[in-house]
Amino acid sequence: MKKFDVIIIGGGHNGLVASSYLAKKGKKVLVIEKNEHVGGLAEYANSLSCISPIIKKELNINIPNIKDTDYIISLEDNQNHTILEDKNGKLSFVKTNADEDDQKTFLSIINNYKLFSKTLGSFMYQKPPRVKSGKRSDLFQLMSMGWKIRKLGKKNMRELLRVIGLNIADDLEDNLNNDNLKGLLSHESVLGSNLGPRSPGSILTLLYKQAINDNIFNLKKIEVTNYINQLEDCCKKNTVEIIKSSQVKKIVTKNNSVTGIQLNNNEVIESKCVMSNADPKTTYLNLLGAEILDTDFIRRIKNFRNKGNVAKLELVLENEINIKNIDKKMYGKFIYAPNIKYIEHAFNANKYNHYSKNPCLEFYVNDNTLSANIYYVPYLINASHQENEIIEKCVAVLNKFIPDMKIRQQKLITPNQMEEKYNISGGHWHHGDLEIDQLLMMRPFYGSSQYSTPVNGLYLCSAGTHPGGGLTGINGLNAAKKIIEDLK
Amino acid sequence: MNTEKISYKKPLLETPFHKRTSEHCYANDWYRWAGYKVAKEYSSTELEYTSMRNTAGVIDITPMHKYEIKGKDAKKFINKLITKDITNIQSNQVAYGIWCNEDGMVIDDGTIFCLNENHYRIFCAERNLNWFCDTATGFNVTIEDISSSIAALAFQGPLSCKILNLLKVENIENLKPFHFDNYKLENQNVTISRTGFSGDLGYEIWCDPSQAIDVWDSLFKFNRDYKVLAAGMNSLEMVRIEAGFIQPNADFMSAEQALRPNRMRNPYELGLGWLVNLDKEYFTGKQALIRHKEKGPEKKLVGLDVEGDKPAVGSVLYDNSKKNIAKEIGIVTAAMWSPVLKSNIAIGFVNKEYYKLGSNVYAEIYHPEELDYRKIWAECKVVKKQFFNNPRRNAIPAFI
Repeated sequence: MKKFDVIIIGGGHNGLVASSYLAKKGKKVLVIEKNEHVGGLAEYANSLSCISPIIKKELNINIPNIKDTDYIISLEDNQNHTILEDKNGKLSFVKTNADEDDQKTFLSIINNYKLFSKTLGSFMYQKPPRVKSGKRSDLFQLMSMGWKIRKLGKKNMRELLRVIGLNIADDLEDNLNNDNLKGLLSHESVLGSNLGPRSPGSILTLLYKQAINDNIFNLKKIEVTNYINQLEDCCKKNTVEIIKSSQVKKIVTKNNSVTGIQLNNNEVIESKCVMSNADPKTTYLNLLGAEILDTDFIRRIKNFRNKGNVAKLELVLENEINIKNIDKKMYGKFIYAPNIKYIEHAFNANKYNHYSKNPCLEFYVNDNTLSANIYYVPYLINASHQENEIIEKCVAVLNKFIPDMKIRQQKLITPNQMEEKYNISGGHWHHGDLEIDQLLMMRPFYGSSQYSTPVNGLYLCSAGTHPGGGLTGINGLNAAKKIIEDLK
Repeated sequence: MNTEKISYKKPLLETPFHKRTSEHCYANDWYRWAGYKVAKEYSSTELEYTSMRNTAGVIDITPMHKYEIKGKDAKKFINKLITKDITNIQSNQVAYGIWCNEDGMVIDDGTIFCLNENHYRIFCAERNLNWFCDTATGFNVTIEDISSSIAALAFQGPLSCKILNLLKVENIENLKPFHFDNYKLENQNVTISRTGFSGDLGYEIWCDPSQAIDVWDSLFKFNRDYKVLAAGMNSLEMVRIEAGFIQPNADFMSAEQALRPNRMRNPYELGLGWLVNLDKEYFTGKQALIRHKEKGPEKKLVGLDVEGDKPAVGSVLYDNSKKNIAKEIGIVTAAMWSPVLKSNIAIGFVNKEYYKLGSNVYAEIYHPEELDYRKIWAECKVVKKQFFNNPRRNAIPAFI
């Protein structure tokens, strides 16, 4: 019988980061991955710019940036597209139909948001304080968080506290006139979350995503496969054992303490410490089993909002893709969300569990392939998507900008398929909405924060924990630290 | 559905016994219970109380919430729900249990009827469907609210068995306490359990709503010799205080309903520690209850033998015979003058230092007397809650 100090369920990038850190501290670590290769949802990511520099440094991960200059193109029905240039994080307009005042205001709004998200960003590496624990360290941390907000200065602190619960549409409509710019920023705030531009808290979601990504327009800066391969190498170097194509059936417990895991082939591997990289709902309801959890806790698990609503479409065309009215040099991240009303209408369908007939799109183009995020395509319970119809609607939108599309291959990945493939209940990018009641010490929910669980020896390190999704790796780092602290 | 019935004109539902209860209800004084109306007082509370203590009283308990638990994991589910271990429960047995939330605070209590290994019924005072369904996550059980499909009467009093015997209910005297069985009552198929809320010999009769009137009538058949009375909620309150039974949202706030966290109570504070089995592998609130037990209760629900004859309703309890230096140490939750015990009794919470049996505390009683209050500083002795516990209650065969 093999014995390990820590077993990690799921070889997603957070699991790999955590296992590297644990192994570096001399722990015997086993990683169990369901699919044939590790990396999990990372391979799904269109954009990736946000791996924590600390992790890169400490794990000796060396990945070059693809390019320094990137473009964001906000498409418009009359072909008056807005093109923004991002040069090492500095934004400027290349082409737009907005007047000069609007351009200035737009950039100043973004700068303002950047300032706020920096404050939020400084909370990322800390485990969030438990308010009622009575421990001095938690109290100190809470005070330091308050101090960081205060340090913004009176004016900025007031502004942050004003916008933190606000919806993005209100803030933009107060300051901007140009529909296209409003749509562009609203899109960035609601993509991947269960919010519309007029849902309260959508600004916070934007700030938070910005804090994670270190950039308001989440741009692709590095190669995902390269990153995952290096992570895997790092694990192997530190003698982490990785079992692939093997699924965990159950976390075995006795008297409220973890004793090991049981695989699908009924093999039991013993360990006093198990860390789950599966999302919180899957971990608690499927792997652990609700029978040994308190009813109030089950209620909180069930109330955790994790309904994904973004589908991914991969298209291969017969010939090279040419987008109307745009110079080929400036191809980058295309966004079709022409105005706030359009996004809000698309969101309306989502409320009633329908896909949007007029979807918003975010896509990248490479030669004759196109990869798009379509939203809103909600996760459906006990139902399946009409995939052809969704593709049809999506192609109809694309046709406005890419004439004569001849499709050779098409592939749609709906939230339901994501759930199945990556074992994420709800098929949500971030394992759960990034909203005010599901952040910091409340992520994933009360009673399960700080990476620990009600069961002794069971820890979480997935995107469902603080600081959330977005391929930062910080979840894995923080969780590993927590385990090392507890095992002492 | 009959829309007239739920219109604003008739906001309260009527139980299947309503035809008879409204005839008996001379006072026309109704109590709202779970959306139904039941009699608070039929003619005289004292008289109804006397019938329960001397002959037998009939109480309409149809509004009680009834839940059907069916399925392969039914027993496992109940073992997770309640704090007691019911692994060894047999068919036709009844268990009394409480359920707590994750903080170990009591939500409600109820009786659990075991029909067979995979089929149970839970009867309780408050609505619990939501809690049961959430608790059932991960178990192979179905939970159904069957409240409106069963009519129920409590038949309580020293002559209750005798009257059932006269009604030719076969072998009823050998029904053990906390057991139930199916019987024939005047050609009606009914379920009778030897359970109740009076602390005396008594039964609860469960039947189909269509048989309700016939069952009711048969219980009054021998009224020429044995004066059986319909008893209202007020008289039920009297007998339950004497018997020392506690009631959610009267003696303690249900943890599901309390708004202020410090108003919730754990089983040890309610004197229900004997219902908690911490050896059981798992149930909701176990971890919290281990901590509560270790710490010991800060306050406890106790019985009080109050000096004088004025009931200490809603009184605040103090620690000293001298009013001017006395400190507040508790509160009375229920109080009455007990006619059968000829003493002034009360149930209340007292702080840690005073819950030992025999301790002395003082109640400030505000006794209304013709538009004025007489303030009485009454000495109280801490006693067991169970003021009235007649050996008849558990005797086998039952008294006929």
